[in-house]
Amino acid sequence: MRVGKILSIALENLKQRKLRTTLTTLGVVIGIAAIIGLAALGEGFRLEVKQRMEAGFELHVLIIFPGSITAGLGQPFSPTDVSNVRGVENVSLVTPMITLPTAKVNKTNGERIGAFTVGAINFTEMQAMLPERFKLADGIFPTADENDTIVFGYRAATHNGTAVVDIGETVNLTMKIETGGNRMTINKTVRVAAILQEGGTAGITNFDYWAFIPTRTAVQMLGGEERYQMILVRVSDPKVSEQVGDAIEGKFDPYTISILVPSTFMQQVDSILNLLQVFLMAIASISLLVAGIGIMNIMTVSVMERTREVGILKAIGAKSRTVLSMFLAEATLIGVAGGFIGIFTGYGLSYAVANVLSRVMQPEQQSDTLFSTPGRKPLTISPVFTPEWTIAAFVFAIVICIIFGLYPARKAAKLDPVKALHYE
Amino acid sequence: MGKVKVPALQGVSFSIDKGEFLAIFGPSGSGKSTLLHLLGGLDRPDMGEILIDGVDIHRLDDGKLAELRLTRIGFVFQFFNLLPRLTALKNVELPLAIAGVSEKETTERAKKMLRFVGLEARATHRPYELSGGEQQRVAIARALINDPKIILADEPTGNLDTKTGWEIVQLMKRLNEEKGQTFIVVTHDPRIAEEASRAIYLRDGLIEEVKENNRGRRA
Repeated sequence: MRVGKILSIALENLKQRKLRTTLTTLGVVIGIAAIIGLAALGEGFRLEVKQRMEAGFELHVLIIFPGSITAGLGQPFSPTDVSNVRGVENVSLVTPMITLPTAKVNKTNGERIGAFTVGAINFTEMQAMLPERFKLADGIFPTADENDTIVFGYRAATHNGTAVVDIGETVNLTMKIETGGNRMTINKTVRVAAILQEGGTAGITNFDYWAFIPTRTAVQMLGGEERYQMILVRVSDPKVSEQVGDAIEGKFDPYTISILVPSTFMQQVDSILNLLQVFLMAIASISLLVAGIGIMNIMTVSVMERTREVGILKAIGAKSRTVLSMFLAEATLIGVAGGFIGIFTGYGLSYAVANVLSRVMQPEQQSDTLFSTPGRKPLTISPVFTPEWTIAAFVFAIVICIIFGLYPARKAAKLDPVKALHYE
Repeated sequence: MGKVKVPALQGVSFSIDKGEFLAIFGPSGSGKSTLLHLLGGLDRPDMGEILIDGVDIHRLDDGKLAELRLTRIGFVFQFFNLLPRLTALKNVELPLAIAGVSEKETTERAKKMLRFVGLEARATHRPYELSGGEQQRVAIARALINDPKIILADEPTGNLDTKTGWEIVQLMKRLNEEKGQTFIVVTHDPRIAEEASRAIYLRDGLIEEVKENNRGRRA
C-alpha cells in the first residue's frame, strides 16, 4: 500500500473521531509547548545572565594578588615581578596597584570622606585597562608626574546623590605606616583632581568606593619603596585568559600568587545554567511522556473498536505490515500535528511567561549584587528559540507518538482475521 | 477434565474446477464457514492441504497468504463487512489501494465495477445510507475489483429479503457466466444450491452428499 494512501486513510480515521483526536493531540501539544517554552526561557535567561555578567565582570582583566586571597596575602610584588608579567604572551597591558588600607581621607574641616580604600595607580594605564569603567565624571586625570592629587570614585565623592567634595578642593590624606618596628603617621595634603563615573562592579572589586592617588605619591609616602599589592592584567582575548593565568603562575614560585580569572567564573556559571536548562527540559519531557501514554491508551481502545475492521482489511488481502503502518500512521499524524501546534504554543507561552517575569523582576526588587551594573536595568528575559531545540522537540513528539503507538498497532496487526471478523 | 478438541472439518476432500459455481450446503455447525475460511487462506488447517493451482496455500507464510487473498480470492460476507466510514466507491477501491495501484487507476476501475453491479449512482454513499442489497452489491464489487479467480461467499443472501437475495444470486450467476470466475458459496439458501453447478452437503464436518447439477454447469 502506498504511503500517501496510508496517510490519507489514517487522516480520514482521525477526522472521524474529532473529539478524541483533539484531546489526544492536546496532550502532545502541551508536552511540546512545555519543552519549547522552557527551552526558550532557559536560553533567554542564560543569555541575560551571561550579558549581565559580561557587563559586570571585566572579562579581559585578570587580577593578581600576592599569596592567597583567602589564607592571607603574601609579600607584595616588586617592579621586577610586574615586568615579568608584562612579558607573558597574549598580555596586552599590565598595570600594578599599591593599596593603602590604613589611609584615611578627611576634609580640611576634619570631616571624614567615605572612601573604603585608597589605591595608588598610573591613571593613564588604568584608563586603558578599564576603558568602560574608569571614566571621568568631572575634572582631569593627574599625569604620572604629579604627586599631590587625588581622584575619588563616584560613591566615595557623593553621598545620597550630592557631591561631598569638589574639584580643586584640598583634602588631607592620613596614613599609618610601620618601618623597622616604628609606627608612624604620615599626613599629606592633596588636591581633588577628578571624580570618576559610577563604574559598578568589576570582578569582585568595586572602585566606586575607592580613592586613587598617583603611584609616585604613594611611593614617596612609603619612604621610596616600590611594592605593589595587586597587578591588573589585560588579555587580548578572554578566551585565552586561562592560559595567560597559567603562564603568569609559571613566572612566580609555586603557590605564591593568586589570580582572579573572571572568565573561568563565567564558564562555571554557564555550566550551572546549562544544567538548569537540562533539568527543566527533563521535567517538560515528562509531560510529553504522559501524552505518549495517553496515545497508547486511546489507540488501544481504538484498535479494540476497530477489530472487525482489521478483520475485513485482512480478509481482502491487507498484510499485517499494512495494518501496522495504518495504525502507526495515525499515531505519527498526531505527533506531527501535536508537535507543530505545540511549537507555536510554546513560542506564545514563553513570551507570555517572559512578560510576567519581567514585570515581577523590577529593579527595586533586585538587591545590590555582584551582577548589578550601572543604571541597573530591570532583568528582562526574552525567549530565545534555537532551531536545534525546535527541531529536536518536533522529532521527539513524533518519536514518542510512534513508540507509544507501536504496542496498539502491533496488537491490531497480529489480530487473527477470522476472530476479528466475528468480533462484536 | 480439559478442553475437548472438536474438529470442525474432518476428511473433507473435493476438487473444484475453474469456472464452477459450487454451493456448500448444510446446517449450522456443519463446518461450512470453517471450510470457506480455509479455502480463502483466512484460517489454517491442523491437518491436510488446500491446493490452488497445485500450490498448498497453507505452506505460504502470512505475507504470501495475504497476497493470495488480495490478488486471487474475493470474499463476500453475510453481513457485507464494508468499512462503515468509507463511501461505496472507497470501499470498492480498498483492495486496489492495498495493492498499491495508482490513485487514478484505482478510482477508474472502482467506478467501472460499481457500474457493473448497478450502483454507479450510489458511489458517494456510505454503507449506512445503502440498503442491504446495495451493500451486498458493493461488497461483491469490492470482491471483484482485483479480478480474482475465485470468489468465496459466506451466506451472501443470509441477511437479505427473498427478492433482494434472488437478485444477488442472479448477479453472482451472471459474473460466473460472463467472467468465468469460480464461485464457492456457503449457504442455507436452497435456491443457490439449485442454481449451482454442484452442491456439496456438509454435516458434522463431513461431506454427506454431492449433487451434480447440469444446469448452469460450464463445459
